[in-house]
Amino acid sequence: MTQDNRSGRPQGRPPEGEARLSRVEASLRGPFLLFFVSAVVWLLAASLLAVVASLGLGSLLAPFPDCAWLTYGRVVAVERNLFVYGWGFNAFFAVNLWLLSQLGRFEFRNGWLAALGGVVWNLGLAYGVVRIFAGELNGFALLEMPREVGPVLAVAFLLAAFWPLVAFARRPTGHTFASQWFVVGASFAFPLVYLLAQLMVLWVPASGVVQAVAHSWFVSNVLLLWLGASALAATYYFLAKVLERTIAAYYLAPVAFWTFFLFAGWTGPAALVGSPVPVWVQSAGVVAAAMLLVPVIITALNFHGTLSTQGGWARAWNDTTLRFVSFGAVAFTLFGLLQGLVAFRGPSALLRFTSFGGGIEHLLTYAFATMVLFGAAYFILPRLTGSLWPSAKLVHAHFWGSALGILGCLTAWLFGGWQVGRQLAADATPYAAVLRAESSWFSLLTVSSVLLLVGHAAFALNAFGMILKSSAPTDAGRHD
Amino acid sequence: MKNLNTLLAGVFAAVALPFGALLLSGQSQLGGLGRAAGEEGGALFPSREPGLAIQGRSVYLSLGCVSCHTQQVRPAGQGSDLARGLGVRPSVARDYVLQPQVLLGDRRIGPDLANYGARKTQIEPEALLTDPASSGAVWHPSYRFVDAGSRTALIAYLKSLRQDYPSPEAKLKK
Repeated sequence: MTQDNRSGRPQGRPPEGEARLSRVEASLRGPFLLFFVSAVVWLLAASLLAVVASLGLGSLLAPFPDCAWLTYGRVVAVERNLFVYGWGFNAFFAVNLWLLSQLGRFEFRNGWLAALGGVVWNLGLAYGVVRIFAGELNGFALLEMPREVGPVLAVAFLLAAFWPLVAFARRPTGHTFASQWFVVGASFAFPLVYLLAQLMVLWVPASGVVQAVAHSWFVSNVLLLWLGASALAATYYFLAKVLERTIAAYYLAPVAFWTFFLFAGWTGPAALVGSPVPVWVQSAGVVAAAMLLVPVIITALNFHGTLSTQGGWARAWNDTTLRFVSFGAVAFTLFGLLQGLVAFRGPSALLRFTSFGGGIEHLLTYAFATMVLFGAAYFILPRLTGSLWPSAKLVHAHFWGSALGILGCLTAWLFGGWQVGRQLAADATPYAAVLRAESSWFSLLTVSSVLLLVGHAAFALNAFGMILKSSAPTDAGRHD
Repeated sequence: MKNLNTLLAGVFAAVALPFGALLLSGQSQLGGLGRAAGEEGGALFPSREPGLAIQGRSVYLSLGCVSCHTQQVRPAGQGSDLARGLGVRPSVARDYVLQPQVLLGDRRIGPDLANYGARKTQIEPEALLTDPASSGAVWHPSYRFVDAGSRTALIAYLKSLRQDYPSPEAKLKK
């Protein structure tokens, strides 16, 4: 892979930013803030529902026994949809647009179209979750919303998230950076995956268990090719940008990109080992999950190598953006290693149907993608609003609430899942004893969910305070 | 990496290849699967769901029961499902050919339901739904807000769940 380096800057480093709010940033301030504020509102709603769901698990009785719309099954479905489509998509609409505009020096002239896409996306999502609360859901995670919502979200996505491709096509220089590849890939892959999955699962359902294969394919693609790829793009950018150095072993980044996209789409059936689907389909998923270790190892070399030189870790600890982003970088490596390990038939037989799978998913969606998004927000928002973060204490509350909260959740899911899996594997252990063992982890899950809610509330207070007090976007703010 | 068309073509291939290989090939392999007799001249299985069970399936979906219950029995060597008596044989693809929505599930907070209708010892389902604490199932949430008609349909659906009939594939799987 050759890189055009006519601009004279080192390979593996994004272009230098300007001190003052540039025309590029000013042009995307409106859509960015719309996406970002929507994302944070959905995140707060999802966090609150996560507490309600964990309370239901903790007592093993629904906290609101006579309230049909707060049934555990509906609450977790809404929580997951709000977290992924409300928070994950809106936030990455914003960050991906900002990243590609910065890297491509793209002056955004059609902000109203992106804003329209954002409004339609959020209205579609709101309608969908209301219908789920009303009991009109199906059994396919992340596709629970009524099928008429699908085309609405697809059109809204094209309006809101197609602009990074335009920014890439119109960039003035030949040089490209890893972040651009990952954002372009994510923006192009999601609508294809979403429409095909809608078709095969909801509109013209495939026959029998092929629905389960289609669903597993969809979930792995959404989580890896949208959330994962977008978060990788942001990690590459902010590590190089804030540390002001080139990415270590950057020459391997193109290999990471292609192998990530090549293998991620096949990993879904790894979640179906032992299910009544063809064995060759299961094996394809297992092999792909193992092969995904290639981009995971390369990104580990890129990220941890960059952080391990010239006091990078110390700087990461002292810089708000880097603290979140480096937390996410470590989480992604752990995610890849764990996913590759438990896909094999032995560990899968032990851990399947336990909370372990949920733990691995949250390593990707929260510990990696969400923490990177927080780091990105601490970098971008001051630049767009021209204000400083109002409260350093709230920044600390946010980091510690999020970090301790997700570590607690992961402990409950991963260790709890391991313990329950071992008990389930032992034929002699009565099912009631297994349930008791599982319920002992629910208290930790509840406390951790509350910590996450507190952290998110601190972040929202700080961010909304900053946005409200920003009057004229003329001066650049500092990110820390 | 500088050419947008190359990037898009590569990403398109990365999406299309697994879609074609896993989903379209899977559909090609299993799409024609229908009911079959376990023995020559025997009755065709799986049986068609009674009307009340079809209504009950929509109640099952509406309450989000799939969040906590699976409907699949793994083969020997893949967990202890058979040893625990979740079924007399592993689930096979043919068991699901009549289901408009296949609810395999991926989490067992509660027990598997693939053979709920075939189990001999079980808590009375009406009590499980309305007053789980007194029925001994303290781990199960109460669904007393569900009207009696829907509860009856849900119970009919649960009792229709069974995979204990003979199946050509299950013999091979054993």
